[in-house]
Amino acid sequence: MKLKVGVFKFTSCSGCQVELIRMNEQLPELLNLVEFKYWAMASSKLEDGPYDLALVEGAISTPECIEEVKAIREKSRVLVALGDCAVTGGVPSIRNWMSQREAETIVYPKPGYIRSTRVYGIDEYVKVDYYLKGCPPRLENILQVFKAVILGVKPRLRQHSVCVECKLYENECLLTTYKQPCMGPVTAAGCGAICPNVGRVCEGCYGPMSDPNVASMVERLREIGLSDDEIVRKFRKYAGMSKPYREVAKL
Amino acid sequence: MGKASQLFKTDLKGLDRLIKKLRSDGYVVYGPVKRGRSWFFLEIDSVKQVDLNYVRTVLPPKKLLHPPREKLFEFKLGDGFEVSEKPMPPTVALFGVHPCDLKAIERQDEFFSQTPEDPYYLARRRNALIIGLTCTRVDENCFCLSRGTGPEVSTGFDILITDVGNGYLLEPGSAKGLELLKSLGFQEVGDEYLEAKQKLIEELKKSFTKQMPPEGLAELAKSMLEHEVWKETAERCLSCGNCSLVCPTCYCFDVYDVLELNLRSGVRVRELDSCQLLEYAEVALGGNFRRNRFQRLRHWMLCKFGVAGGGLYSSCVGCGRCIVYCPANIDLTEVASRLRGGG
Repeated sequence: MKLKVGVFKFTSCSGCQVELIRMNEQLPELLNLVEFKYWAMASSKLEDGPYDLALVEGAISTPECIEEVKAIREKSRVLVALGDCAVTGGVPSIRNWMSQREAETIVYPKPGYIRSTRVYGIDEYVKVDYYLKGCPPRLENILQVFKAVILGVKPRLRQHSVCVECKLYENECLLTTYKQPCMGPVTAAGCGAICPNVGRVCEGCYGPMSDPNVASMVERLREIGLSDDEIVRKFRKYAGMSKPYREVAKL
Repeated sequence: MGKASQLFKTDLKGLDRLIKKLRSDGYVVYGPVKRGRSWFFLEIDSVKQVDLNYVRTVLPPKKLLHPPREKLFEFKLGDGFEVSEKPMPPTVALFGVHPCDLKAIERQDEFFSQTPEDPYYLARRRNALIIGLTCTRVDENCFCLSRGTGPEVSTGFDILITDVGNGYLLEPGSAKGLELLKSLGFQEVGDEYLEAKQKLIEELKKSFTKQMPPEGLAELAKSMLEHEVWKETAERCLSCGNCSLVCPTCYCFDVYDVLELNLRSGVRVRELDSCQLLEYAEVALGGNFRRNRFQRLRHWMLCKFGVAGGGLYSSCVGCGRCIVYCPANIDLTEVASRLRGGG
């Protein structure tokens, strides 16, 4: 019996679904195992649940979204937050630090039509079984979740720092050697250290690692010359609404 | 090697011939190469690529004997269970390994030779050839002198190279090394070259500023598990794992399977792990033996002091990497000194 899968989207850029579409040559094998019952980006044939697995992309930012995500949860055995927006609110959550009206005015010519809420990850409203961090999550990790759900085991999504992957690739250390503001020491791995691999600092797009020492990281960034404003932006960018970052993001 | 070992000397061209000979003998040769602001053990085919005055590489040469990530074997589920081992790893020669790293390799050798032996490490190690290189300089984070792991070294290499100013002294450390030196026709020299080397080492010893003597440290640390230094240091610690990932004596690894999408075949992988990571001590149902950051930091340091699980196999050789690569500037030697009641 194939796994019945639904892919859903709320406030986001759809990049996580694009990552899923990039399966290319792996798609036929995946289709032996799963059946996409609902995936608006890939098919116009949309079937109602129940779903064995729901991948939910995007942040919750309107009253309608809240009801919808609750309905999806009811119809789904396993629910996965797909990407930072669904995990913590992601990039759209930066608007939480300005007034609602101000944000609406920047984006829409006639904001009077807009009804929005503060931006949250989906677990503000529903129970999430697995979190696929990243902006976007790496395809390998998404497929890992498919396999784990089919087999009924816990997916191996380690939450240690990006530094671990960086060292496995033996990159030069941008923070200690070059005094660059790399977020690696507090950011969850999973990306394969793609930015440090090409000599760019980790921007923190996988959000907080397990048990990050945020206070110490703030000090380290100060030491290399970042202003409090710059530090706040570093923590707000992808996961400002996450529990470990929330306090710093408000600085 | 006994006292009567033969000594040879050569020049830069001779070292190049040595590298070329190793390559023609089928070794993949790795040496310290500078890239950006750091050094790395990379594959080399000429001495020109090597920086003979390097201080330390990012990852220790351990990476070639105990790779950070390696596929152990492939498996397939059919009627039964099929396993196919990958072919034997290439035979490596490590050119230019400093004394601290030589000592660290000796500890890894001992650890992986315990029962049950580790076939993956030992397969690599048995075929490997190791060429040591006496340091020409010491930086503010070197402290091998106080650990008794350098800058003098008498074991752990097949050949030891020392820049004695007017050439390179070559000391064989194994039958394999001696044979190689003879086959290259290098000039034999007398004991005066050893004296010259000794003089350089005595000079070098004066440059050390950092120290962490092992005497009594293990016992002391064990009796001070509640010392405030652990909690204070942990306030800075990021638990990023850098210290243990760059450590030449850390050997802990994780083993996991990567399944193909057909769910019937896959590979078993082993990957360096670190006791600094929260998940490391996690057991079923989410229990964790070292949930607090200070417990993890303390555990790693105790291992380096010769106390914890690793004891002597994992104790510190004074290479300074953990200090250099700690984003929070945590210094193992300062912690040791505070335990001793100093600073």
